[in-house]
Amino acid sequence: MDDFLQNNGFLIVTMVQQALLAMSLYYPLMSGQLSLASPGFYALGGYVAAIIGTIEYFAPWRDALGWSIFPLEWLAAGIISGVLAVLVGIPALRLRGIYLALATIAFVEILRVICLNLEITGGAIGIFGVPQLFESRWSYIWTFGPLLILMLFFSYRIDRSRVGRAFKAIREDELAADAMGINPTRYKVLAFVIGAVLAGVVGAMSAPFLNTWNARQGTFDASIAYLAYVLIGGSRSMWGPLLGGTLLAALPEVLRPLKDSRLIINGVVLVFASIYMPQGIAGAVGRIRNFTVRKFGSARSEK
Amino acid sequence: MTVLLEAERLCRNFGGLKAVNNVSFQVVEGEIFGLIGPNGAGKTTLFNLMTGLTPVSNGTLRYRGEYLTGLPPHRIAGKGIGRTFQNIRLFKGLSALENIKVSQHVNTNCGLFSGIFCTPASRAEEKMVDEKAWELLKLIGLADRATELAENFSYGDQRRLEIGRALALEPQVLLLDEPAAGMNSAEKHGLTEFIRGIREQFKLTVLLIEHHVPLVMNLCDRIAVLNFGELIAVGNPVDVQKNPAVIEAYLGAE
Amino acid sequence: MRDKFIPHLSSFFVWRRLSNMTTAEFIQNVLNGISIGSVYAIFALGYTLVFSILGIINFAHGAVFTLGAYFTYTLAVGQFGINGLLSGLNLDLQVPFAMALLIGAVLAGLVGVLLERLAFKPLRTRGADSLLALVSSLGVALVIVNAIQYLVGAEIYTFPSGVYGNIKPAMMFEVAGHTVVIRTVQVIIFAVCMVILTILGYVISFTRLGKALQAVAENTTTASLLGISVDRIILVTFFMSGFLGGLAGTLVGTSFGIAGPYFGVTYGLKGLAVIVLGGLGSIPGAVLGGIVIGLAEAFVPPDYSAYKEAVAFAFLFIVLLVRPQGLLGRSHIQKV
Ligand SMILES: Nc1ncnc2c1ncn2[C@@H]1O[C@H](COP(=O)(O)OP(=O)(O)OP(=O)(O)O)[C@@H](O)[C@H]1O
Ligand SMILES: [Mg+2]
Repeated sequence: MDDFLQNNGFLIVTMVQQALLAMSLYYPLMSGQLSLASPGFYALGGYVAAIIGTIEYFAPWRDALGWSIFPLEWLAAGIISGVLAVLVGIPALRLRGIYLALATIAFVEILRVICLNLEITGGAIGIFGVPQLFESRWSYIWTFGPLLILMLFFSYRIDRSRVGRAFKAIREDELAADAMGINPTRYKVLAFVIGAVLAGVVGAMSAPFLNTWNARQGTFDASIAYLAYVLIGGSRSMWGPLLGGTLLAALPEVLRPLKDSRLIINGVVLVFASIYMPQGIAGAVGRIRNFTVRKFGSARSEK
Repeated sequence: MTVLLEAERLCRNFGGLKAVNNVSFQVVEGEIFGLIGPNGAGKTTLFNLMTGLTPVSNGTLRYRGEYLTGLPPHRIAGKGIGRTFQNIRLFKGLSALENIKVSQHVNTNCGLFSGIFCTPASRAEEKMVDEKAWELLKLIGLADRATELAENFSYGDQRRLEIGRALALEPQVLLLDEPAAGMNSAEKHGLTEFIRGIREQFKLTVLLIEHHVPLVMNLCDRIAVLNFGELIAVGNPVDVQKNPAVIEAYLGAE
Repeated sequence: MRDKFIPHLSSFFVWRRLSNMTTAEFIQNVLNGISIGSVYAIFALGYTLVFSILGIINFAHGAVFTLGAYFTYTLAVGQFGINGLLSGLNLDLQVPFAMALLIGAVLAGLVGVLLERLAFKPLRTRGADSLLALVSSLGVALVIVNAIQYLVGAEIYTFPSGVYGNIKPAMMFEVAGHTVVIRTVQVIIFAVCMVILTILGYVISFTRLGKALQAVAENTTTASLLGISVDRIILVTFFMSGFLGGLAGTLVGTSFGIAGPYFGVTYGLKGLAVIVLGGLGSIPGAVLGGIVIGLAEAFVPPDYSAYKEAVAFAFLFIVLLVRPQGLLGRSHIQKV
């Protein structure tokens, strides 16, 4: 078991991390907004942590705080991402559908080019030697794991709360929601900010995990990868991003025996999944369950 | 007799089309005010102006003396004006129960974190929301199908659910856009009684767009007639029915 | 950091640069901008055609662009490097370049057709959420890009300098005592793009096919009631889209080299900026948008050339916020 964790620790933690990033897309989607901005906030959060962790200015802080500098980095990344999300979200969320998606792609790209050119972000090379929180890759499960559980708990509760109902109403029919007294801008921005803060915090956790940080962390490819996680996992329930993120993140590893052609297969899987599992994996599981319930009767009594 | 709603020289143009043109009228508290007119007369547009879904081109709208003009829809809803839609706009992918809970938004105030952490206040609020939703579902007769998705309901049930959803706002004014459309005559009769009933129970003022003339004549205290965006008559049903302009424009056209 | 950042920002004010720019520099920038802009235009047209018909964005368009360049390279040069399955292979087909360019584009067009059949049609017939088309087209892009890498590796391939025949690589002339350089490639690119645009404009405006295309773009149901085979029009559209994408890929490849299987990604994204700037679904808009973004990039001062990559996206972001229907797009009011 220990061996297994040592050998596959990186993969397992990556799966959890990708599931979290998928969730960061899920919140805006819950309110009907297709935002692909997550990689931007993820990159930003990582830079915050990498900068706090490496530059001279913060050296006394690091010495004074010891390991507790890390939670502080997460906090800083979350706050900065949240503030930026409000600034970007208020104008951008007036857009709908594909227009919003394109605006968020533009945001990610602009941020990437800026990070590629600033001195403080290490330019094209990026930031090396970000201090580690743990010695082994596997141990990072103790940061990402609890965050995932926390986010699942949040999603579960939000889904059943007043705010979650407002999100879903906007997703179903923004105009009708408005006429029923829900301020769409406010809740769309809120959903966008939740996603951004989550992505930022995950970024801040990932910089120590990956040890280095550069502009390749926040790209268009990542935007689409996260979208694929959610859509293929299922965008209608919180289990969708969880399943999609973990399974698709593991896919290249699972396909490793295929060597160089594995990314080709990866693409094929995306095409097939979008065609044959329109409700995502979570939806497909739900359908199978409904089917068996109808066929063989429910285990629980119906209300 | 207090004037509740007041429209003054209300106009809305779509390009060159004057969908609502210089319309002024008053709605008195507690009445059922009918709005009739041929297809394309501008009735729905008038509702959209009153609920802020379509911006007013010109003129003013007041509710209890406060200007509604320029307010976004959710602010108007928050003042106690609820509505239904001619081409039903339920939250299709949500259950009947959730549809009604959504509309209690303005009367509750639990935020993101109190919702997540289930504070006592939020729990109490959620309990209240739940009870009220069930009550309304019973009122509209859909309690036994509370967890079914709205899109699976029949046309008539969807219309009733829309009324239930509007009632959940705890409105003082209810705007109903062709609530009887697609209903059979038994259902239409039931609807008449139902609208009278909720007016009594919730102390409502009702504005009603309806094509079915007997229903309007029977139900409404006063009627306004629109034609090509202009208001051509207002008054009690009997007078309006006799008004030559109305016969010419509306009844004659049928 | 602060005192470095602020001049960065201020330099983006074009007027400041223009005020101390020589006439020669100005002309040089305009020429460069129009040349690259015309490629952006024909590339972006590929997006626009598909969008106007189906209302979706084909995220594999950048990959088709890449593929076009590789097709032409294979036909005209056919020498592969040291990586990938085909390493060391020398096909030596010696297809004349003009021919190779055309065949490469046609092949890319056929890939477009295949793409429609595999990734879009199954979703369309089921009436699936249009978001899924993003994912499936991206899946195809992944397949294409990685197949290229699998076959010929990730190295840079360049066309030999003489592909366009035995002509001078550049022309120079003087303006007010300063030199302006026009690379021959730029002229050819511009000329090819103009020819293609003219043909396309003719086809769309004056032929039966073009009329049918417009009818489908306007309303699919009405078009099919008029007896137009919508399915066939969609196939033709994807063929044209792939053709334009592949052609643009080759043209860029001859100018800057083929920088590996991923070199279409940036163009794919910039193409999005172009079509939004021009107005989603508008054909003249795509052309105008291409030229505007080409020019804007050309006028980025050399000291800040690193930010050149962001210009298209800054345009994209700002246009979306200020005028989402783009320069030439139609805005439509939502009916309640
Ligand atoms: N958003 C819009 N954009 C353009 N024209 C509109 C819009 N909304 C309504 N119209 C036009 O305004 C006119 C009035 O429409 P409206 O829907 O208010 O009529 P109505 O009286 O409700 O008719 P019906 O009885 O058919 O429901 C119609 O000619 C309609 O086409
Ligand atoms: Mg109407």
